[in-house]
Amino acid sequence: MLQGAGAMDAAAEPTELIAAAVGGDMRAFEHLYRQFSPRVYGLCLRLTGQREAAEDCTQDSFVAAWRALAGFEQRSRFSTWLHRIAVHSVLARRRGLRIDYEVPEPATGLPDRADPAADGPPLDLERAIARLPDGARHVLVLVGLYGFSHAEAAHALGVAEGTCKAQLHRARGLLTAALGLEKS
Amino acid sequence: MKDATQKSLDELLSELPRDIVPPRHLWRGISGRLNATPRRTRPLVYALAAGVACACLASALTWAVLHGRPASPAATLAARAANFDEPRNPRYIAARDDLEIDFRERLKLLDPATRTRIEASLEVIRRAHEDIRKALASDPASPVLEQLWESTWHDELDLYDHVVRATQPAMTRT
Repeated sequence: MLQGAGAMDAAAEPTELIAAAVGGDMRAFEHLYRQFSPRVYGLCLRLTGQREAAEDCTQDSFVAAWRALAGFEQRSRFSTWLHRIAVHSVLARRRGLRIDYEVPEPATGLPDRADPAADGPPLDLERAIARLPDGARHVLVLVGLYGFSHAEAAHALGVAEGTCKAQLHRARGLLTAALGLEKS
Repeated sequence: MKDATQKSLDELLSELPRDIVPPRHLWRGISGRLNATPRRTRPLVYALAAGVACACLASALTWAVLHGRPASPAATLAARAANFDEPRNPRYIAARDDLEIDFRERLKLLDPATRTRIEASLEVIRRAHEDIRKALASDPASPVLEQLWESTWHDELDLYDHVVRATQPAMTRT
């Protein structure tokens, strides 16, 4: 069920747009922003649990991506590469704004439901994720939601793979308890 | 249909939307940052990279001093190029290309020993630039690497500029 981050987006990548952006075409890069920003913003929002921080991290991610595009050699998918930048941006900002992240805040900006007409997950799940301890939340978001492998998440977060697995187990336990779910 | 309490955690997680449209129009801020022209200064923490390039520049500078051709304070092509923030900016690249053409022409005026030393210095700068480019490809969000990347571009331009300026009298005579 868990996919590697590289296989997360099954759809073909816009290779012509990517090539144009690599060549310095900012309009092509804007198109890439339109296509990829919802995923990047979603990732940043879940990782930070804070709307403003997520917006800042999204901006930082695309600025960093533009500046590094000349070195993008397409050994990985563009989306995978971009998501790694987003994780770096969140972690870098977190190091700089440590106090902000120690003060829990309602997860504003998160949708009430994935699709209100489809009996989607309740807002409580988003809130429960936002209230997880940082380490557990980061791993749950990367591995449980955005399809990173444990190895990819461990590398992105700068932790051992075993730590990553332990944090996921911890996150699942905390969420199960917070939502009153039966242990599977 | 199951209610939320009947669903497993995996089911609930799978139903969360992965994509969330940013609530504000962020592109304006991003494009503004990409288009910003002021060149960032190099913090001291990155002095290591600058130091490497400065060592490379030493040969050109020493040559200029020994030949009694002090650098002019006038605005130069390098200074003009330095107003561009991005090495990928077409205007920056065009200015750099022009300067390199001048540099190559002026280099021919130097004695072989000096020319060899300058070309060796340039090679060191370019190797550093390529190493940093590769490192950035694997760690694109690193601000340290980003600063190093920019500093090598600027140091290469500085080397061109010093040679062009130092050979100005010789060109005038011809």
